[in-house]
Formats: sequence, C-alpha cells, structure tokens
Amino acid sequence: MERRKRRLFVRGEYFDYTLLLVVLFLVAFGLVMVYSTSSYKSILIHEYPYYWLIRQAAFALGGVVGMLIVSRMDYHIWKTWTIPLWFSMWILQVLVMAFGKEVNGSRRWLGVGSLTIQPSEVAKLSLILVMAHCIVAYLPKLRQFKFLILFFLVVAGPVIVLVGAENMSTSMILFMIAGVMIFVAVPGYKQFLSIIGAGGALVLILLKTQAYRMERIQIWRDPTSTPKGYQTLQALYAIGSGGIFGKGLGQSMQKMGFIPEAYNDMIFSVVCEELGLFGALCVITLVLILVYRCVIIAYHAPDLYGSLIVIGAMTHISVQVLMNMAVVTNTMPPTGIPLPFISYGGTSIVFLLLEIGIVLSISRQIRLSKQENL
Amino acid sequence: MYLHNSHIRKKTALYVAIILLGFTAVTIHLIYLMIGSSEYYRKEALELHQREREIKAPRGVIYDRNGIPLAANKPVCTVSVIHSQLEEPERVIRILAKQLELDEETVRKKVEKVSAREKIKNNVARNVGEKIRGYHLAGVMVDEDYRRWYPYSTLFSRVLGFTGSDNQGIVGLEVEYDSQLQGKSGNILTLTDARGVEIANAGEEREEPVAGRALYTSLDYNIQRYASQACEKTWKKKEAKSVSMVIMNPKNGEIYAMVNLPEYDLNDPFTLIGDVDTDNLTAKEKQDRLNQMWRNYCINDTYEPGSIFKIVTATAALEEKVVSVNDYFSCPGFRIVEDRRIRCHKAGGHGQETFREGIMNSCNPVFIDVGLRLGAANAYKYYRKLGLFETTGIDLPGEANSIMHKPDKIGAVELATMSFGQSFQITPMQLLRAAGAAINGGTLVTPHFGVKIVDENSGKEKKLNYPKKTGAVSPETSALMRELLEAVVAEGGGNKAYIEGYRIGGKTATSQKLPRGNGKYISAFLGFAPADDPTVMGIVLIEEPKGVYYGGTIAAPVMREMFEMILPYLGIEPQAVTKEKNK
Repeated sequence: MERRKRRLFVRGEYFDYTLLLVVLFLVAFGLVMVYSTSSYKSILIHEYPYYWLIRQAAFALGGVVGMLIVSRMDYHIWKTWTIPLWFSMWILQVLVMAFGKEVNGSRRWLGVGSLTIQPSEVAKLSLILVMAHCIVAYLPKLRQFKFLILFFLVVAGPVIVLVGAENMSTSMILFMIAGVMIFVAVPGYKQFLSIIGAGGALVLILLKTQAYRMERIQIWRDPTSTPKGYQTLQALYAIGSGGIFGKGLGQSMQKMGFIPEAYNDMIFSVVCEELGLFGALCVITLVLILVYRCVIIAYHAPDLYGSLIVIGAMTHISVQVLMNMAVVTNTMPPTGIPLPFISYGGTSIVFLLLEIGIVLSISRQIRLSKQENL
Repeated sequence: MYLHNSHIRKKTALYVAIILLGFTAVTIHLIYLMIGSSEYYRKEALELHQREREIKAPRGVIYDRNGIPLAANKPVCTVSVIHSQLEEPERVIRILAKQLELDEETVRKKVEKVSAREKIKNNVARNVGEKIRGYHLAGVMVDEDYRRWYPYSTLFSRVLGFTGSDNQGIVGLEVEYDSQLQGKSGNILTLTDARGVEIANAGEEREEPVAGRALYTSLDYNIQRYASQACEKTWKKKEAKSVSMVIMNPKNGEIYAMVNLPEYDLNDPFTLIGDVDTDNLTAKEKQDRLNQMWRNYCINDTYEPGSIFKIVTATAALEEKVVSVNDYFSCPGFRIVEDRRIRCHKAGGHGQETFREGIMNSCNPVFIDVGLRLGAANAYKYYRKLGLFETTGIDLPGEANSIMHKPDKIGAVELATMSFGQSFQITPMQLLRAAGAAINGGTLVTPHFGVKIVDENSGKEKKLNYPKKTGAVSPETSALMRELLEAVVAEGGGNKAYIEGYRIGGKTATSQKLPRGNGKYISAFLGFAPADDPTVMGIVLIEEPKGVYYGGTIAAPVMREMFEMILPYLGIEPQAVTKEKNK
C-alpha cells in the first residue's frame, strides 16, 4: 500500500455498481414517497404540491453528485481530517445546545435563516471516519481493556453524551457505530460483554431518570392508553390497513393529516399502507442487499482503515433502518429516527450519500486477485 | 487480501446475524399487523376516515279532506361545530350563545369538546342560521333542515299529535302513520382528512333520501274550526273540565272533526297548558301531566255512557221483538229491582207511557223493563254485534276498550242498570260507532281519519280501506230507530237540538262520573242528520260542567249550533218538514 502514490482521485479495478444502484433506487423511491406523503399537506399550506419534494430532490441531487465525486477520491485523504472532525463533532453539538433551533420540542438544528443543518446527522459520518483512523492507529494497545475503555470515552464519548442530551436515539446509533467498529477490530469477545452491560445500564438509567421516556414505554405497551400514543396508533392504522399489496401508490388515507408529518420519521407506515406487506418487504430486501454489499466490500477492502469505514457505514444504516422500522411498527418504544434515504431531511440524505460515496471509493480500490469474483 | 480468516470477518458476520435477527423480528411483526390484524386496522381506519352525513327526508304532509295541510314542514337550521376547524373558539362561543339564546357555559362545553362534530342546536330559525353563516366563523356549520310545523297550532292537537326531535311521531296520527310519513333519510359517506374536511374526488357513497308519503285524512279544517268554536263557547260558559266532540260520517266512518278541549299547542307540545307552576313538579309529575294533556278523551278514556246507551238497548229490544213501539209502560219515578230501588230522573215519574214516549222521555223504568225482557244473553249478543266488545279500530294509537260485566255475573240489577247505560264503561268512540250502526241501516263501520296515502313525487296513491260489517241490525229496526230518535229531538228530551227545516235525530245523556254521588257529571248529546238518511252524526261530551248539567239542556244546544253551521256546509239542504209529520 505504501508503495502506491497518493493522489486525490483514483481509478480502480473494481466498482460496486450493485451498491450504487441499490442506493440510487432507494433515493428515487424516497423521493416518490416524500411526494406521496407531503403533497396533500403542501397543497394545504403552500398551495402547490411540490414544496417538500423540490427541497428533498435538491438535497438528493446534491448528495448524489457529492457521492459520485467522493467515490472517485482516495479514501485515505480522510485521515488528514481526523482531528478537525473529532473537534467538530462535539463543538457543533455544543453550538446546537446553545444556539440551536427548536423544532417540535427538540433542539436539533443549527443554521442561519432557511439554511439549517442537523449536526447529529453530520456526527454519524464524522464518528465513522474518526473511529476508523484511531482504531487503526492504536490497534495493538486496544487489546488492553483499560485502554479500550479510555479510548472509547475519549474518541466517541463526548459526542455520544452531548447528542444524547437532546436526542437519545441518535446517541444510541452513535454508540452502536463506535461499539461495533471497536468490537470488530479488536480480537476477543469477553471485554465487550462489559461494554454492552455498561451501555445497557446507561440506557436504563436514562429511562428511569427521565419521565418522558417512561411514558414512551407506556405508549409502546398500549398506544391507546395515552393521548401521546396518537402518532404510533395512526402509524399502526396505516400499516394494518395496507394489507398484503397495499392501497396503491398515492392512495394512503393516513397521510391526509392523520399521521403528522408523514414524510418524516413515520414515512415507512405510509409505504406499508400504499404498497402493502409486499412493498415493505421490498424495502427491507433492498436494505439487506445494501448491507450485504457493504460486508463484501469490508471483507475485500485494501486495508483495515477501509474495512472499518465500511463496517461503520453498514452499522449506521442497518441500525437506523431497523430502529426506524421497529418504532413505526411499534416493535420498540417510539423515538424520532428518520428512515435512511427515504424520510424527508436534507442533512440526513446528503451525509448518507457522502457516506455511501466513501464506501464506493473504498470498493474502487479493491484489488481483484485472479480467482476472486465479487 | 489482508483479511483472510481474520477475526474481523467472524465478528462482522456475527453483527450481521444479529441485525438479521432484528429484521426478522420486524418482518414477523409486519406480517402480524398487515395480515393478522389487517381487518381490524382497516375497519378502525375507515371509521376514522369516513364521515356519515345524514340527508334528512322531508316528512310527509298531513292534509285535510280538501287538501289543506294540517301538518307541514318548516325549513330550519342545525348549527354544529367541527372542533378541528375552529380558529377563534372564544368568538364562536360568544356569537353562538348570543344568536342561539343559549348561556355561554352550555355553548362552551359543546364547543370545547374534542369531537369530530358537535351539534350545538337544532330547529334554529332560518334567518338566525343565515345570520350565523354571515359571520363566516371557521369550524361552524349551519345545515339546512326541516322541522315539523303545524299551521293551526292548537286545532286538531289531540288527533294529529306531534313529532320528536328526530322527526319521529310521538302521539296521534303522527305515530300511527309514522312509517308512511317518515320516509327514509339518505346518507352521504365521505372520506375526510384529519381536520374533518372532505377529500375532493375521493368518491362518495350516496344514498338518496326517500321523502315521506303524504297522508290525506277525512278531517275537515272548516268543520273542525266550527266544532272547536262551538265547544269552546260551552267550555268557557260551563267552566267545564273538558269538552269533546266527534263529527263522523255514519255511512263510512270518516271522521270530519274531533275536538278535545282544552287543546294544546302542537308547535310547543312540551309546555303544559294553563297556569301551571312547573317548577314545583318532579320530572315524573310533569311527564304525567303532559301525557294527560296529550290524551284524546274520545278514544283513550272510558266512561259510563248513560242515557245515550238507551239507543243500543232499544235497538236490541226492537230487533229481538221483545218490545214494540206502542207497548205501554208505567213509570212511578222508580223501579224496584230485586232489593234495589232504581230512580228515574223525573222524581214524580212519567206515569203511563208508550215505549216511544219512554225513549223521548229517556225514562229509566221503561228501559229497565225492556232490558229485563231482553235478558243478559240477548243484550250481550247485540253489544257484540254493535262492536262494544272490541276497540273501534280507529287509526289512532292507545285506543281503550270497554269494561263490561262478566256474562255469568249479570244479575237483574246489573241488567237493569246496563239497559240505561250504567255499571259498565265504553269509550265515546265505541258509543258513536254502535249508535252509527243502529241508525245507518245496520252497518258497523270502522271510524277513521286516514283516507289515502300519496307519494307526492310519483303521484302514486294508496287508498286506505277499513272493514265494514253489515247486518248488525236489520234495516227495518234501523229505520225505526231513526224515526224514534228523530222524535226525541223533535218533541222529546233532545228538543234543544232541533233546527227548523232539518230532520235531526239524537239522544241526550247525563252520566254520573264515578264514584257515583260525587256530584260530577258528563253531559252529552249524540245527534245525526238528516234523520231519514243520516250523512253526518256527532257526539258532544261536556265533562264536569258547572251549574246545570243536563245533557238535554247544555249538550244538545252545542250540537244544534254545530249542525246549523255544518249542515249547509256539507250541502244538506233544509227540508220542508214539520214537527207534526212524525207524530
């Protein structure tokens, strides 16, 4: 590897077109669903149906362009960004807590005027890149348990805690990303059991100390028992009334204001309502293909740094999709997580696509041996 | 490849396996939700999305015999509030309370209730509805509606009855013909969004309302008005508790008028008439009084018919030939039957008299003799033939039936008292019907109001038919009865009903109200005209008159006044007859 000359852009022997196609399909499908779920509200408020679609399409287009550019870059250049990224992660978070815009009771947005970003979405990609580099750099020492803990607390700890103050679900995703990356990189299983235990204990403490989280448990057990279960109940109506093949694209009734902001976190329920179990399983299958391609790329990446970035990205996407679907179907207590690629949200889709761009750039640098056929 | 057989591959695979497990769990839950509970959620969701809007069917109009509407529909408004569309609840509460004349707390409770649609008030006058609409309040709906309306308010009140808030008949003809009048309300099933706003192009299911059918009655607005006026005069003059009158065509049972004074306001049927302090009444007491107010004494209540019933006894005796018109009787002013001394109304007695004179004098001893000659079995045979053991079948709800002695309990005393109309009870309607059969040639008709049901959209008519039983008595006996009863009016106790130039038959009665001896009476007169071929007959009952209470003195003039007005109206011309003719 060292003998290769560092260039900004690389030409590889391989490129994972399957992953690219799956992601492009998910993004396109997401735009269709955002249009389907937002047009009614858009007509009511803005008197034309495309308000949310146009915004989302603009971000998606920018994201795809960004993804294609990044996919041609040598992913090693991200190593030079590790320290600024580490600082930016939690500084942005502190800024959000100080000056953030509050929407729907959560302070998650930062920005001027209509240009806002959600730093917690940025943090996911940053954390993946920072963790990958740091793990590679300190791998031998990470075999010591004490160092492992210290490492985790210093590299991932600040951002997890700061994000967790406002947004527990994103904090859990960050924790999962960092945790899985270390778990995969460092040999041995025993030491991780204690980390899992600590994580579980932390979640329990957060649940017990914050009353509104206990309320969520109540919603999960029986959405009809509390007025706060309204959204969950509406999502269940949507999912249940979809049946096997759904009502047909665009035919959702629940998006007519019954599910508030149906184009956001709850969009999967409208997918279920319009396209049925069949459509839902198609989306799950696409995500699983994406995960599978990530595993393949991770296995064949030219170095551990590349592998870890791909594993981080795969963890991010798979955990977030799973949590979103679990929330929408009331398989777990409700919390606000967007469905990757499909839910409305500019920051989310741009940084997800950049993340995929990096994964693609790693796939581009895979060197195929004669026998291998990916 | 740096990664061959490393722990990284194994651990990645482990992670993927765990994630797959998670997706499996979600998939299983999805299958459960979307196949297992699909029906449940589909139904729940539809309930949430679908709004049913009722389209009220206009209720059928009730007409009199000349096509004058007696019960019609008045356009009104229903004011309701759609909670999710409210923008200025405070203003809405203030304006609605003021315009609808409700107190603010009541309105506030309804406005602030989280419901899809809350009715604030119905039966709001159209102009008030228009005013509210003029404010353009978001979330306030003013829907047009119909309200039952009775143009003549008190006239016919105990016959027509009225409707409840859901347009359903509550008493009277309104309930008897409810299924015809009511029609079927239609429905619009629409899909609405979360705010309750109907979704355009969502395709609504519509079920058109079917208008109620019109009822044409035999009632006559003019005759009813005459009857009402005649009764009211007496009601006031005699300070009577009530005055009732029925005017009927004895040939077919069509009722032209039915008055029960005091009448109540059909447009305000829940307000007690008279100066009643309703505040001190319990809900039950008030309801009892209302029920009393809504009663139709002519058919809902029984009484001892008294001397008018002598028509039945005479008819039976003549038909059975146990007496002939010129048989002689003697009246010492009383008759001893077994151990009882039964008095005649004339204390000194009528002395020697024929049966004919006995009827004209309404002499009790004559009828006691005739009744005893007739015997219980024969008496009951004719009671039955004249319909006294059955309800008349009139098309009004709640008709009462007669209260008679058991056949095996009839001794001489019972038989004696029955023969002049005491010791049993019938309704005035039963009496009128029986007397009708006695004078119309022997046909037992079914008194009724409904003549035909008309579907006013298609013009389709359905004539209402009522059973008629002929041969209750022979035509000869009937002719004889007409002649005898004409004599009662021409020269006997009913002479105050006589009208120069008309042949009028009739019989008076002064019944004691039970318990006997309480000093309360019902004075009555039953009359018919023309006496040789009656086309109209009537009965008037004055309950608890003050002062003079003899039927011949106070009830007969009421019927005369009535006949004076309605005989020309009915096209019955005066005939050149003299009193002497029937002597």
